Formats: sequence, structure tokens, C-alpha cells
Amino acid sequence: MSLAQDAQPIPAKTVLKPIKFVEYDLPNGLHVILHENHAAPVISSYVLYHVGSKNERPDRTGFAHFFEHLMFEGTENIPRGQIDKFISGAGGNLNASTSFDRTDYYFNLPSNQLQLALWIESERMLHAKIDEIGVETQRKVVKEEKRRGVDNQPYGTLFEELAKLVFEGTPYSWVPIGAFQYIDEAKIEEFRDFYKMYYVPNNATLAVAGDFKVEEIKPLIEAYFGPIPRGADVQRPKMEWKLPAAGQKKDVLKENTPLPATLHAWRAPVETDADAYPLELLTNILATGRSSRLYKRLVEKEQVALDAEAFPYLMEKAGMVGVFATGQNGVALDQLDQLITEEVESVKKGGVTEEEFQKARNTKEAEFAKAFGAMASRAENLARYHLFFGDTNLINTELDRYLSVKREDLQRVAQKYLTDDGRNVLRYPVPAAPAESKKSN
Amino acid sequence: MRLILTTSIAVLLAASSANAAIDRAQKPSPGPAPEAAFPDYHQTTLPNGLRVFVIEDDRTPTVTFRLLIKSGSVFDGEKTGLAGFVAGLLNRGTAKRDAATFAKEIDSLGAKLEAVAAADYTAVVTSGLTKYTDEMIDLFRDAVLNPVFPSEQFTREQRKSLSQLMAEKMEPDALATKLTGKVLFGGHPYGAYRTPETVQAITREDLVKFHQQHFLPNNASLAIVGDVKPAQIISLIEKALGGWRKGEVPTIEAPKDDEVKGLSIHLVDRPGSVQSNIVVAQRGPRRSSPDIAELNVINATLGGGFSGRLFQNLREKNGWTYGAYSAFNPMELGGAFQAGAETRNDVTHLALIEILKEMQRMRDEPVPEAELELQRQYNVGNYLLSLESAARTAQRVQDIDLYGLPADYYKTYAKQMSSVTPASAQELSKKYLDASNAMIVVVGEGKEIRPELEKLGKVSAYNTELQPAPEPKPAP
Repeated sequence: MSLAQDAQPIPAKTVLKPIKFVEYDLPNGLHVILHENHAAPVISSYVLYHVGSKNERPDRTGFAHFFEHLMFEGTENIPRGQIDKFISGAGGNLNASTSFDRTDYYFNLPSNQLQLALWIESERMLHAKIDEIGVETQRKVVKEEKRRGVDNQPYGTLFEELAKLVFEGTPYSWVPIGAFQYIDEAKIEEFRDFYKMYYVPNNATLAVAGDFKVEEIKPLIEAYFGPIPRGADVQRPKMEWKLPAAGQKKDVLKENTPLPATLHAWRAPVETDADAYPLELLTNILATGRSSRLYKRLVEKEQVALDAEAFPYLMEKAGMVGVFATGQNGVALDQLDQLITEEVESVKKGGVTEEEFQKARNTKEAEFAKAFGAMASRAENLARYHLFFGDTNLINTELDRYLSVKREDLQRVAQKYLTDDGRNVLRYPVPAAPAESKKSN
Repeated sequence: MRLILTTSIAVLLAASSANAAIDRAQKPSPGPAPEAAFPDYHQTTLPNGLRVFVIEDDRTPTVTFRLLIKSGSVFDGEKTGLAGFVAGLLNRGTAKRDAATFAKEIDSLGAKLEAVAAADYTAVVTSGLTKYTDEMIDLFRDAVLNPVFPSEQFTREQRKSLSQLMAEKMEPDALATKLTGKVLFGGHPYGAYRTPETVQAITREDLVKFHQQHFLPNNASLAIVGDVKPAQIISLIEKALGGWRKGEVPTIEAPKDDEVKGLSIHLVDRPGSVQSNIVVAQRGPRRSSPDIAELNVINATLGGGFSGRLFQNLREKNGWTYGAYSAFNPMELGGAFQAGAETRNDVTHLALIEILKEMQRMRDEPVPEAELELQRQYNVGNYLLSLESAARTAQRVQDIDLYGLPADYYKTYAKQMSSVTPASAQELSKKYLDASNAMIVVVGEGKEIRPELEKLGKVSAYNTELQPAPEPKPAP
């Protein structure tokens, strides 16, 4: 490529304002990360436990998520049902979530309520109270959560089916919401054992961001969390992540499928692998924005799809990369599959253009520039980078990893991971219309 | 220097001596509450009538432009979906860029430019890195002033909409939302929803006309949020949008007053449902009502969060649902109140009865002071938390302009929410919550839930086309 063609000045890389933090371990193993920032009179506390659905036994799926619900019940010093009342009554909000790899809990509060956050989180870590009433109620609640998100929605089972297919043979093959029967079968002692094993300071990270002084919060953290006894070393699930693995095909037949949909997915490396970065840029070129390849082909040119998405889904010990398209009414799934395959083959064969490559880099740059404004997102991401990447400062530097990717890496990872043999295809065909409804069309 | 050093050692010592001072058995008491101070912002009006607001936020090197056209789907007329098509096609081709060129240019900046139509307004938003400010303004100007709505792009979107409507017939949320609008607002555009017929009735000329009639600088406001300097950015905006010509702003009638009396139950039979979507709806106040701030506290008490009565009753006490909430949705010309939950089939009627009971209890009994204090704090505190977001501040500043609210509306907002007493809460509940005249919409498995619903009142049944369904035949 000649210099003349590149004569347009390329603006310098945006300088991100560094997010400063201090981090340290308490003697009991709790990892603490503090980000002092006085832009607004707010604080966010974020507690990350290194336990998710991949830690579950295959006959106890849904356990980690169910346990997350129980953590709102109460503690030795907090009566049942009071945790939200305390936080709401202090002008704050809270929630929690469970994924394959971790369970997290957050509070956002006006900054004069910092101590309340530390108190409740330390109470939950020290001596949460788990009783039959709470377990019985949350059993019902979690079933409604699953019906709402999975069983009562078109394509609601997609993620569950996808995990089964792509992660077969690993503890990632079931999803965090799990199965009803196992939550019913679990005895209260099992919940207590689970708490004892995973909800220990040496398996947790505490991040606090916002309007406080580091030297004032440190002794408080010591006072609230210091006395919590260290637990036994946590046993991690033993699993081998085989790359590549042969793909499978599955059609999911559901009465409530309104439009044909297809998902192609391949096994991909774990999130800490260097190939994670070119893979993300590749998916951007495939399907982010109306100038992306799949949009231009499936939505614009052939007009067979409503939308097309490509995504990396990389985790601690497993990963996948996928392409998803919802077809227009009446479009054959085989046609969608064929077009997706052609676009994937084209990038494997010809790589990406310089223009596409710059667009993907610029998108990442803009994403990072926008990403960590709010204190809640700073606390969350500081903890995430620490736990899963062992480098808290990646909150400031991860963008450089994307920007150091070379254009040819994108073709290389396409060839390496998006293989013919490794392709899983999960499809939702529209059930054949009954004869009588044809009249109205 | 020395003095500073000494002071900081003193602070350290004082702090570490506090080490043992906690009492884990007690909830810690808070320090003095910070004040919810609405941020300062810069505003100006261009000669063509365009109001411009600048909210500085230097935390990230980005900028967002949000143009609010004060016309939304309420101006659709018979052609429901029209404002949505106009918004959706603004970035699909202009006088000097075809759709592909436009997409390539905006994508190559790593930026986004999208528009959406709500009932009362159309918002055009672009955001990206500050170093691309000039390029973003150029694309933004082009999309707002010179869209050509290319036929082939319009036809494609029309076709996609028909597919989307197919999908919505199977989505419980979509069915509930559409039918609720219809029973609340009847024929007024606030209650209209797209059908294959309305989508097909729209022509490219309708889009052009809508754009001409409504995209006027004196019918709009622009908020700029980010790491910008007001004087500098306003001069760029003057250059880009100063030549935009003003025109006559269209008006529209408010929905007729609601004359519904008595409970009505509307059931969408969605075979195969394993959950029922329940909505209890009624008309509510407009956005300009002086009661809105206080209604936040009343709504929070009933169904605003995890500590609201609906959540506590339906989920924490009974385990019938994952969540149960309520909300007022005040708009320019009218408003709605909705309470709802998704419950398993066999408790649908029980959950509905409890929602109505909780609404009635807000009217019949004063809220105990301790509970009300929690909800006042919840609202005031979360309002303070929301001020962290400059984008949210921009929306509020534009809302003041859009809905004609007093200029100090958000400066006194926290104070208004703090002022609710048990007596005023009961009075407002009596004014705005009326369980005995509520309109109830349920989407679910008809054959399982209908018999119990019939015991609560007359049930009007619909199919998933939202057409009245024939009465069930008696068993042979």
C-alpha cells in the first residue's frame, strides 16, 4: 500500500483518563480494590465471588444462581427481608447476578452511606442466614424467573440449547438458571455447605468506587471484613477445553417460533487468550453496524434477514464465537445458513480490508472511551479484570491490546476457529402452518 | 508543606483508631446526607428557534448530540407507525450520501447515529469520540436536514416490519402492551399500534411530508453532552444548523376523557403459555401535572422496587412471580398508570386480586410513616444517584423544554419528593388509583385461566391478532 493512498491524516489515538486505584489483600485472603473519585457524592460497592454455574454438579444445576437469591434473605444481625429495606431506605439500589464463572452483588448509594454497604456485605460474607422459609419462597420465585425468561418466550431456550451443543462434556454445558428439579431436590444442608465452601473471603473480591477517602475507608474495611475467617482453598472444576472439537447440528421445534432463526457457533479460546482480541475485531467486521458484511449481505442485498449478529462469548475456561440471524417471514433456513457460510468463508479466504480493519479499531476505541464513566461500572470492571485477568490495571490498558492486533491476525483467527468441522448449527424452524390458517394469508 | 504532612498523619491515626469502633450488631448510622444538586448547564437559542443545551462532562473523551423533535407517533394519524419509519430511515440516505455511504462513514468513526420515535417526540442521537466532532456534526446535520427516504430502503423496512409483526403475535409482552394501549386510549394515537394494514398504507411521500411538517428548528431542542467547551461547540452548531428554516409547528388534540366505569377484563388467549402477563391499567396524569414528583413516592410504595408492596406481597410472601411492579407513565396530552406481574397459570386470578387489593389499600389506609420515610429516601437518594449521569441530566433538561415544566423543576425535585406525608399520599392515591374502575389485560393460556377470571368480572376475549375471539362453545 502506497503512502499516497494513506495521505489522509489519521487522528491520534484518544487518550483515556487513567482510572486510579489501590489494591491489596486482607490477611484472610479478601482482595480489596479502591477507586477514590469525588465527581459525584455517590459510592458503588461490588462484591465478586468466584463461583458460578460451572462449579455446580450436573445433578444440581441452577444452584449458584439459586444461592444468589438466598443472599438477600438475612444474616445473624440483619433480620429476614431487611437488606433491600436498608439499602432503599438509605436512598440506594442493589442487585446481583450469576453467570457461568461468577456471582456478583452490588449496592449504589449516596456517599454518606458507605458504611452501610460495608456492613451488609461483610454480614453476608460472615454469617448469612439460610432458613426453610426463604428456601421455599425462592424456589417458587426462581421457577417464575425461568418461565419468564425461557419457557414463555419465543427462542427462550436458545442459550440453553447453544450451551448444550457447544460446551458438551464440560460444566459450561448447562446454563446458570439450571433445571427446576435440582433446586427442588437440594436439601438445606447443601445450601449451607455451598455457602461454607464458596462464600469465603479468600474466594471474593471487594471493589468500592466513588466519593470516599482511601485512608478513611481502609480501617473500616479492616474492621468489617478482617474478622471473617479464611475458608478452605476452593476446589476448581477440572476440565479440559478441547480446541477444535467437531460441531453438531440441531433443530429446535417449538410451537411458538414466529420467524426462522439460525445460529452458527464455534468453540473459541478462553478470555485471557491473545486470540480473544482479533476474534472480537473480526466479529465487529462481520456484523456490527450497517456497513458490516452480514448486514450488507443478509439484510440489505438479499433481504432475507431482519438482523444479523456476531458475538464472541469468551469465559474463564471456555469460549465460543457465534453468528445469529433471524429470517424474514417465509425465508428458508437453508438459505440463511448458506449465506452465513459464504460470508464466513469469504473472510477466511480473503481476510478483511484495511478500511474494515480501521473501522473495527475505531469502534473499540470509542467503546473503551465510553465504557467506564459511572462509578458502578468502574467498581465492576476493576474487580473483573483482577479476578479473571490477574491485572486490575487492564481497565486502563486493555484497549492497547486491541490496537496492537495486526490486520492479518483477523484472517488467521477466522481460519483457525471458524472451521467447517467445528461449526455447530442451531436452528429454530417455524412450525408448518395448519391448513386452515392459510386462508387468511 | 509540613503542616499538610502533619495533618494527613493525624487523619491516618484518627482513622485507624476507629478500627475497633464498629458494632456489627447495629446498622451503622450515616453521615450527613449530600445534597441532590442539579448540575449547571449552558443554554442558548439560535435565531431560528432551536434551543441548545450543553452539559459538560469531562470523565470520558466522548460527545453525544441528542436532537429532540417535539413530534412523535402521536402525529401518525391513520398511518400508525409513520413517525417510526421516519426516524428509522433518517440514516438511510441523504441528498449527498446513499445508505451504504452513510453507514460506512458513521461506522468508520466508531460512532453511532440512530433515531427513535416515542409517543411525544422523535430523538435523533449520535455519539462518539470528541476527536471526530466535526465529522459527527456533518453526518448528524445531513441526516436531520436532508434525508431522502430512498424507496428501496423504505420498501425493505416495510417488509421487515411485516415480519416483526408476525413475531410480535407470539410475544406475550408485545401483546399485553398493544392491548393495554387500546383499552386505555381507544382510538387516540396514544393507544394505536401497528398492524399489517397500517404498515402497508404508509407511502414514501408520507415520510417526506412528516419530515417537512415536523422537523423544524422551532419544534426541537438539542442537547450536547460530553467533554466539550460550550462556546466552541455552540459555534459549530450555529454553523451547521443556523440555516435550518423555521416553520409552523403542528398541534394535535388530547385524548377524550376516560369514561370507563367499572372493572373490565380483557384476555388474550395465547395457547401454550406457561405464565400469564397481567396488567392493571388506568388513565393517569399528564407530564405537566404538579403531582408527578410526589406520585413517584406513592408509586414506589405500591410497586416501585424490591421494597414496594406488590413485590413484597406477590413475590416475597407468595412466591407467585419473579417481579411485580407499577408505574405512572405521564405524557404530554395524557397519561397512564400500570401495575403488573407475570405469574404461573394457576395463580393468575389470585395475583390479580392482590394487585387490586394493594391499590385499594393505598386509598383506604394512610401509609405508615416509617414505610413512607423509606420510600421518600429511596426516591430522593436514587434521584441523587441518577445525577451522576450527564446523559440523564440532558434528558431532563430537554424534558423541561418539551413538556413546558418550570425552569427550576429539577432543582426542587428532591424537595417535592421529600414533602409527601401520609395524609397527602392517601389523598393522591384517592385521586389517581382506582381499583374498582381498572382496565385489566391478561395474556395467557385461556383454557386454564379464563374460568377463574370470569368470577371476577365479565371477560372480553381476544385472539393473538387482538381481534375479539368467539365465545367458547359449551362442552359437547
